[in-house]
Amino acid sequence: MRALVLLAACVPLAAQWIHYPTPGIPRTPDGKPNLSAPAPKTADGKPDLNGIWVSADVKYLNDLTAAGVDIPMQPWARALYNQRKEAMGKGRPSERCLTRGVVDFDTIPMNIKFVQTPTEIAVLYEEYNHFRQIMMDGRPLPKPTQPAYLGYSVGHWEGDTLVVDTTGFNDLDWLDNNGHPQTESMHVTERFHRRDFGHMDLKITIDDQKAYTKPWTVTVAGFNLLPDEELIENICENEKDYTHLVGK
Amino acid sequence: MQILKSIVNCAALLSVAFAPLSAQWIHYPTPGIPRTADGKPNLSAPAPKTADGKPDLSGVWTAQGTKYFFNLTADGVEAPFLPSAAALYKQRLAQLQKGHPSERCIGHGVTDYATLPAPRRFIQTPQMIAVLYESYNHYRQIFLDGRSLPKLTQPAYMGYSVGHWDGDTLVVDSSGFDDKGWLDMNGHPQTETTHITERYHRRDFGHMDLQLIIEDPNAYAKPWGVNLVLDYFADEDMIENLCENERDYSHLVVKGKEESK
Repeated sequence: MRALVLLAACVPLAAQWIHYPTPGIPRTPDGKPNLSAPAPKTADGKPDLNGIWVSADVKYLNDLTAAGVDIPMQPWARALYNQRKEAMGKGRPSERCLTRGVVDFDTIPMNIKFVQTPTEIAVLYEEYNHFRQIMMDGRPLPKPTQPAYLGYSVGHWEGDTLVVDTTGFNDLDWLDNNGHPQTESMHVTERFHRRDFGHMDLKITIDDQKAYTKPWTVTVAGFNLLPDEELIENICENEKDYTHLVGK
Repeated sequence: MQILKSIVNCAALLSVAFAPLSAQWIHYPTPGIPRTADGKPNLSAPAPKTADGKPDLSGVWTAQGTKYFFNLTADGVEAPFLPSAAALYKQRLAQLQKGHPSERCIGHGVTDYATLPAPRRFIQTPQMIAVLYESYNHYRQIFLDGRSLPKLTQPAYMGYSVGHWDGDTLVVDSSGFDDKGWLDMNGHPQTETTHITERYHRRDFGHMDLQLIIEDPNAYAKPWGVNLVLDYFADEDMIENLCENERDYSHLVVKGKEESK
């Protein structure tokens, strides 16, 4: 039942993506995108992550520990987690149409687009029409001035893997629908690896010692490429209804 | 007096809406930009080009002042309203902008994001330009790969945009709008047949001329628009600015009620 509520939240009922054959992608003889072709490279020899991607499974959005990872929660974090889970997700920021954080945007099976230049990667989220910037120009993480849902992200290449470090989070967002907490001291590391043309693996490490006794890592579902379609506008307009959602 | 009051109300409302009180942009010297001998950004240096020889519009930009954001016809040009649009405009003006989508934290459209004096970043590749708006944390895509405007499937606040180069000018055509957005805070209407043309010309490193042209056979008798200038916003980066006051906005007072307080 909760899954139904969430789907209503995420996808306009009449949603229809804008079909447009993606130019320049590898195709099989019958014209279909060849999703097992090699991953492309940019002009400067880096992996090219450009494209529209969608999380391969919803289970990590619901629960980051879906694969059985043991998360070492501090006692207060455990209590808050239990309370949120008991309330069936009532109270999370998305019910006021606010937004998500990097972790739940990474695991929600909705379209995201990577726009990659040598100095920056912009991630365009279909949901909420929000975006995130990953600075690739070698700058360090700044001292946080104003805690934010999406924090501040810098990335670098380790071989063919994009490693993104993010800090500057607020303590308002939830890491998943179950309600794993975060604090302003959280540091998230994401490791994106485009395995072939149509698939990207993602490993996420959460280091937040105020909430968890030690850093923990989850290999989430990763992403499938969505060729031949374009993002549609999906601005959250049901903020008036959300506060009437029932908890348990 | 009423107009002044409207502006004051709006200014107060807007400062809440698009700049957190404690806003502090993230200072970081923009790498690779031309600088004068004293290290300051050289805003009158020549406009840069991309590797493929096109004007490079990349960077953070902001509009000068708020006047066109409030009123696209601030310079005295009259919008050539059709009667239905004139009536709606008059009503919105009389209501002191009550009912603007931003009061529900919905966001802006192409023209009011263009005229908003808040930072927005252009990220340019040969195939597209993504525009990232600080305000509401929204973005917009402009496709440069030669595709045509699609047949409208779902009307949207930001519509669908394709661009091409006319010499050194980027010409962007947008359609697919809904009729819920307002072209400015005063309430110039748009409909699902609105077509917006933007002409961007980066005059030098620090300045970009922008011509906005609005066409809509269901609202205006002929095309009309405004010319404005965007300034390069060096050495700062945008901060997250989500609209969180949607609960308060619907309680904003309208004309009449306020006087009785």
